[in-house]
Amino acid sequence: MAGLEQTTAGRDGLPEKAARLAVIILWAGARVFSIVVLLAAWEILARSGTFTPYQLPALSAVLERIWSDAVNGDLAINTALTLYRALAGFAICAVVGVAIGMAMSRNVIADWFFDPIVSVGFPMPKIAFLPVIVLWLGVYDTAKITMIVFDAIFPVIAATVLAIKGVERELIWSARNMGASKRELLHQVILPAASPQIMTGLQVALPLSLIVAVVAEMLMGGYGLGGAMMTAARFANSTSVFAGIVEIAVVGYVLIKAMALTRRRLLLWHPEANAPATA
Amino acid sequence: MRRTLLRYLPLLLLAIVWELAARFELVSNTALPPLTDVIRSWVELLLDGELLTNSVSSLYRIGAGLGLSIVVGAVLGIAMAWWKPVNVLIAPIVEVFYPVPKSALIPVTVIWLGYGDGSKILLIFLGCMVPVTIGAFNGARASEQVLVWSARSMGASKLRVLWDVVVPGAMPELLNGIRTAVALSFILLVSSELIVAQKGFGFLIGSLGAGGSYSAMYAVVLTVAFLGFAADRVYLQITKRTLAWRD
Amino acid sequence: MPENAQIVVEQVSHMYRPARGREVLALDQVSLTVQNREFVALLGPSGCGKSTLLYLIGGFLPVEKGAIRVDGQNVGGPGPDRGIVFQHFALFPWKTVRGNILYGLERQGMAKDERENRAQDFIEMVGLSGFEDSFPSQLSGGMRQRCAIARTLAFDPKILLMDEPFGALDAQTRGLMQRELLAIWQRTPKTVIFVTHDVQEAVYLADRVAVMSARPGRIKTIVDTKFDKNDLDIFKNKFFVEKVDEIWNLVKDEAIKAQGKRA
Repeated sequence: MAGLEQTTAGRDGLPEKAARLAVIILWAGARVFSIVVLLAAWEILARSGTFTPYQLPALSAVLERIWSDAVNGDLAINTALTLYRALAGFAICAVVGVAIGMAMSRNVIADWFFDPIVSVGFPMPKIAFLPVIVLWLGVYDTAKITMIVFDAIFPVIAATVLAIKGVERELIWSARNMGASKRELLHQVILPAASPQIMTGLQVALPLSLIVAVVAEMLMGGYGLGGAMMTAARFANSTSVFAGIVEIAVVGYVLIKAMALTRRRLLLWHPEANAPATA
Repeated sequence: MRRTLLRYLPLLLLAIVWELAARFELVSNTALPPLTDVIRSWVELLLDGELLTNSVSSLYRIGAGLGLSIVVGAVLGIAMAWWKPVNVLIAPIVEVFYPVPKSALIPVTVIWLGYGDGSKILLIFLGCMVPVTIGAFNGARASEQVLVWSARSMGASKLRVLWDVVVPGAMPELLNGIRTAVALSFILLVSSELIVAQKGFGFLIGSLGAGGSYSAMYAVVLTVAFLGFAADRVYLQITKRTLAWRD
Repeated sequence: MPENAQIVVEQVSHMYRPARGREVLALDQVSLTVQNREFVALLGPSGCGKSTLLYLIGGFLPVEKGAIRVDGQNVGGPGPDRGIVFQHFALFPWKTVRGNILYGLERQGMAKDERENRAQDFIEMVGLSGFEDSFPSQLSGGMRQRCAIARTLAFDPKILLMDEPFGALDAQTRGLMQRELLAIWQRTPKTVIFVTHDVQEAVYLADRVAVMSARPGRIKTIVDTKFDKNDLDIFKNKFFVEKVDEIWNLVKDEAIKAQGKRA
């Protein structure tokens, strides 16, 4: 690839090089540009009086509210609670979901039993079962975490089943060729080979856990980012509502980024991370 | 036929276990009313019109929100893939909104549009735009360069190439994005109706639950869950035909 | 049937049963004997069942009709006595080059020091020194195949089964790998069964070439191709060219038949 860049080298004068640099900066700047314009438009629109402060609080007011929440500790408490519920639910999903997926690929009965449940349950709006779960388990954390597990376990199971089914036949044959026993085959070959796709399933389940946690909190009130937002809405405190959106968005963004980084570290070997060498 | 029966047999078994567990009071009857009671309540709700009025309300909201998001999202996604300036302007916005949990927008839509249809339609529209736009964008971008060049060399104008090559090529990914949007629309609908509504499935579930009519509540929960499932299956059937050329 | 033959394939038939669609007869009463340390090529058009035959010998597919015996014993399943090398390398992508080569040795229960040394020897033998800690995704096609070959040779199987091992490589790399394989085999002779659809490759590498018919696969003829392969210009050698011609004429009709049947 280096060779291609050299083809016109030595012929380019300063103006050509500067022009190319300018284009690169322009495109990079344009990306940030949209966001900046959007934020500026928000602030200007809010102050202009086209909307009431209730309908569109100023960006500055929202940021100020977030700051004061952070300072007085509310932000930390609510975030911690929501995160606790989401992560607890996610952890259960990960362990139980992968286990069920593994059982389904090794055991015909497990597969027969779970397959219609997963296939029918997947496209259902499982959040509709929240009132049922509340009926069974009350309005505290257990109910919320159960709802999260019920919702987010499906992508994990589906990904695990597909991942294991998709392991290249030749990898398994090679391992057996080299004398691997059935147990060794599962742990040393099938699971590592399936891990990228299983990870993808987990990457879907994590943001899902957060959303369900927030919705459950909105319905049941109390503390937590969702609950705080609903309380603010009931008191017509739109600044806090907007602040809540930003806070949840940031938490969501951090979780997604954290997952992506974990994926990159665990899957250093994956082709998606590397370009082939030449020799 | 026999194969389908065998495949879904576990569900039938679960239904039987449910009925027996309730009948023999293994679980409290308030928490888990017998399946037969639930079915009876379902019929009552149907007959006295409650189920129908609320269904119409909910389905209207989904239809409007989803429909709008598909049209706007598809056009936007393809425009982003085809014209670089559009991409540069809009892509950052999509990237920023992508990780925002759409359910977090429920209170805001209420602030703007109240407790009625408007807030639900807006929520569904905003939420479902994301998968549709991304699907359209990825699908259009993946247009094989050689197909585009072939069309151009045969004399097609840029716009014709867009219509004849890029759009059909984008279909698989776009249709996949829409499938996600369909499922998402149900989720957003039910979430918002459970929390802030005066009509619709979610509202009905909530009010039945608050009033203690648990078997009726179960009936509506199962109805909505089943509708979501059915919508997905029907969607797959319809798109299978459109994508027949793929295989 | 010579009694001291290492591999005996006796009237083997195999039915291919896809998940969807009709069953198809892949092999039809195939018989073949392979002597110890012989290099035999299975040559034929696509779909003729040559890979299937290889997999049956390797124990990856069950023998339903007929029998396959290795050293007098019926083949029961895969095992380290019959090492296999696949066309698409089948390297464990999460393991480094060294890790891949060590795997077979670990399965054999070899002592740590011994297997580290042995792995290093084979890494050097196939010319991958310096890439021991690279992952397969970081290597080129030729390097990956060399790693795959090293991995299989490392646990010293008596028999080497190779399924179009150079098919995924570009023409130049292929030529180099063929020469290297021949050199390795001449240094440490093993029984090799080599599947290919390339006539020149078969004549160059093998002692005998078994020409297979289009599906359902049968062994049409076996041609002797044992001669001095060390001439650097072997591909232009008169004798070589005549052999290639002879075999190509045998394969030609089968290749045309296979084209028509592709569905």
